[in-house]
Amino acid sequence: MQESASAPFAAAPARPAEQLRVQSPFVRTVRRLLRNRSAQVGLAIITLLVLIALFADVIAPYACDQQIRQSGLRRRSPPCIHLLGCDRDKPQLLMGLDSNFRDLFSRVVYGSRLSLQIGFLTTGAAILIGTLLGAAAGYAGGWADNAIMRIMDVLLAFPSLLLAIAIVSVLGPGLINTLLAVAIVSIPVYARVVRASVLSVKEMDYIAASHALGASPLRILFVRILPNSLTPLIVVGTLGIATAILDAAGLSFLGLGAQPPTPEWGLMLGEERNSVFNAPHLVFFPGIAIMITVLGFNLLGDGLRDALDPRRKA
Amino acid sequence: MKVEASNCDYGGSMKSIEALDELTVKFTLCTPDPAFPFKIAGDSFAILDADYLNETGGDSNKISENPVGTGPYKLKEWKRGESITYEAFADYWGNKAKTPTAVLRWSKEAAQRLLELQSGNADGMSNVGPDDFETVEKDSSLKLIEVPAANIFYIGFNNTIPPFDDDRVRLAFAYAIDRQRIVDDYYPRGSVVATSFVPTSFAVGASPNVPWHEYNPEKARELLKEAGKENLEVTLTYRDVVRGYLPNPGIVAQEIQAQLKEVGVNVKIEVKESGAFLDSVTAGKEAFYLLGWGADYPDATNFLDYHFGPQNQQYGKPYDDIVALLREGASTADLAKRQAAYDKVNELLKKYVPMIPVAHGGSAIAFRADVEGAHANPVSALVFAEMKPPKDTFVFVQNAEPISLNCADESDGETFTACAQIFETLLRFKLGTAEVEPALAESYEANDGLTEWTFKLRPGVKFHNGATLDANDVVATMAAMWDAKNPNHKGRTGTFEYWTAYFGPFLNQ
Repeated sequence: MQESASAPFAAAPARPAEQLRVQSPFVRTVRRLLRNRSAQVGLAIITLLVLIALFADVIAPYACDQQIRQSGLRRRSPPCIHLLGCDRDKPQLLMGLDSNFRDLFSRVVYGSRLSLQIGFLTTGAAILIGTLLGAAAGYAGGWADNAIMRIMDVLLAFPSLLLAIAIVSVLGPGLINTLLAVAIVSIPVYARVVRASVLSVKEMDYIAASHALGASPLRILFVRILPNSLTPLIVVGTLGIATAILDAAGLSFLGLGAQPPTPEWGLMLGEERNSVFNAPHLVFFPGIAIMITVLGFNLLGDGLRDALDPRRKA
Repeated sequence: MKVEASNCDYGGSMKSIEALDELTVKFTLCTPDPAFPFKIAGDSFAILDADYLNETGGDSNKISENPVGTGPYKLKEWKRGESITYEAFADYWGNKAKTPTAVLRWSKEAAQRLLELQSGNADGMSNVGPDDFETVEKDSSLKLIEVPAANIFYIGFNNTIPPFDDDRVRLAFAYAIDRQRIVDDYYPRGSVVATSFVPTSFAVGASPNVPWHEYNPEKARELLKEAGKENLEVTLTYRDVVRGYLPNPGIVAQEIQAQLKEVGVNVKIEVKESGAFLDSVTAGKEAFYLLGWGADYPDATNFLDYHFGPQNQQYGKPYDDIVALLREGASTADLAKRQAAYDKVNELLKKYVPMIPVAHGGSAIAFRADVEGAHANPVSALVFAEMKPPKDTFVFVQNAEPISLNCADESDGETFTACAQIFETLLRFKLGTAEVEPALAESYEANDGLTEWTFKLRPGVKFHNGATLDANDVVATMAAMWDAKNPNHKGRTGTFEYWTAYFGPFLNQ
């Protein structure tokens, strides 16, 4: 695979007026990204989600564990929106009440914080560890490469969710342990990607040049090789966030992840799974929230892949 | 044939079991037991053929492969993980099964069971979800049968684990919990707030004149302040298993969490795996937990003696004065004397607060409207032989897969449903009630001291393998459970929970 950073960027620009400006590869990528339809949608969704998470306190009308008790208001009440003709004497409930008299809308809003944190934290940790392991394996080669990558192969041999369940069963249920489990199962993917690109970048002439100039192996690895191997990592990482959110929600659904009353979308779904027919709003909204979030990251990941692919010219 | 303990010092309450003649069996007990007929009617005490028992060595695996009982149905096939199919037994002694084939299936989710029932794939389902009562009632092709609330849901404490070793903390919690609100908001119709540990429908044991502590958050806060336990942090544990006494475990746990927050107690909720949770509670390792109890027979001993007897560790150190009163209450058949003892027990429970009795939960089962003979039993398993849908197969969906088909060594209600179609006991519970009636025994009598119970067996009862029932079968079946040295004392785990719960330790242990 040819890497974008090492690719010559002397391609003729579309319009002659731009010929005067020197375009940095970063700006070029961003431009290409913004022109990509799926990346636009993905970015919009994620920006919105991040804003909701940041301003959850302002957006949510109630605290996430506050019970709304009023005469005539039953638990699991369906949504009540004043604009759509709901009785104005009743409090406005955009997504209805949950089984414990709590405002579902507030819980879904607060849940965005949790899901984004889970996504970024686990993927961040997995990328960090995976990159170090993959880079070490790829650069050192020999027995170190063999040892590290065989361990990664073992981890990859398990279906990721199953392995995560096994890890959580050993560590005990809880949000922190779920983060750990999801991070651990995602490491091998990043280690593989980084190793592959390190292997190809390592053979480039400029690395040989660096060697000849007397650069230390660590400097070559961290300053010359790694920055030039990042492209595939960004794509896989973005898609990985979606997987991490989905895995964590799955674990919480099974009762192994976040513990009640945490407003975690997967947990909310799991607790109300028997309400599918008699109070569908209780599973509909958390489910949709998970879907939209995962969709957002997947679209952005796809867009990034297209934008960063040197073979595709916009 | 006779099995006998040389004396009563081995700790159990069974003295001897003897076949007097071909059709007469006598049980001799060490202590009087007014509840003996109810105990012997439990599904764990089903009678097996002596020769068959010797062939299988009492091994639950072998018995589950090819169960031989006297019931109206015999096993056709158990597809593991899928279903159990029964076919009618042609030589049954009583009313023959009304449908030639019965199928037992299972699904953990209430919504899925209901879907099966609505689509007509099933004719009956257990444990209707508490929020589905109305759905079933509105559907004219279905009918709902409510099961009387012969159970208790309680919040348990362990008096040896801080902060619950302080009596004031437990009492404060009792004041802080609004039981009425829990029952009103989270329990289905037919549920009642518990005033005592024992359901009020029982002849003795409940004390309506000793009502539980009133909800009083002010007093709770004061007590916690007095104990120096403001801003307390505790962990509440429970198992995520739906039972008649607790239809919404997670949601009720969060309600309790919210209620305790109002008096300044921060509760962390921890869900545990069912088996591990029960083991941990029994071993006295859970400090603050949600649990309940469903009746095996309608007598106070089944509730109080099991929970507050001298052996039980789940509330920490047993209370000696309660233990003494329980002995008094179980040693006579005189209802007034028994009630007097239990009134004192309830006073003491209110004083010590080893647990908070919250609710007697109502539950319901549902059938297709065209099923004749549909019924619900308060303490015993359903009788499939009485049900008649307008087709040749009766299909019932319950919560979970049975564990084995040898119920002598089981304690799980879903497993009893599977056993009860194949096996029968000396006495059984009358349909839809908690009264006993003759089954394999035609009649029975007790001496005045309630220590000798003589059962006259029904003549001509055939087992599924063609053998005829006689008194030696009864002795052999009981001996296999009772005598630890008996070659057939094997079962699945060898614990025989109900034998030890009812009659104490094994012989020759």
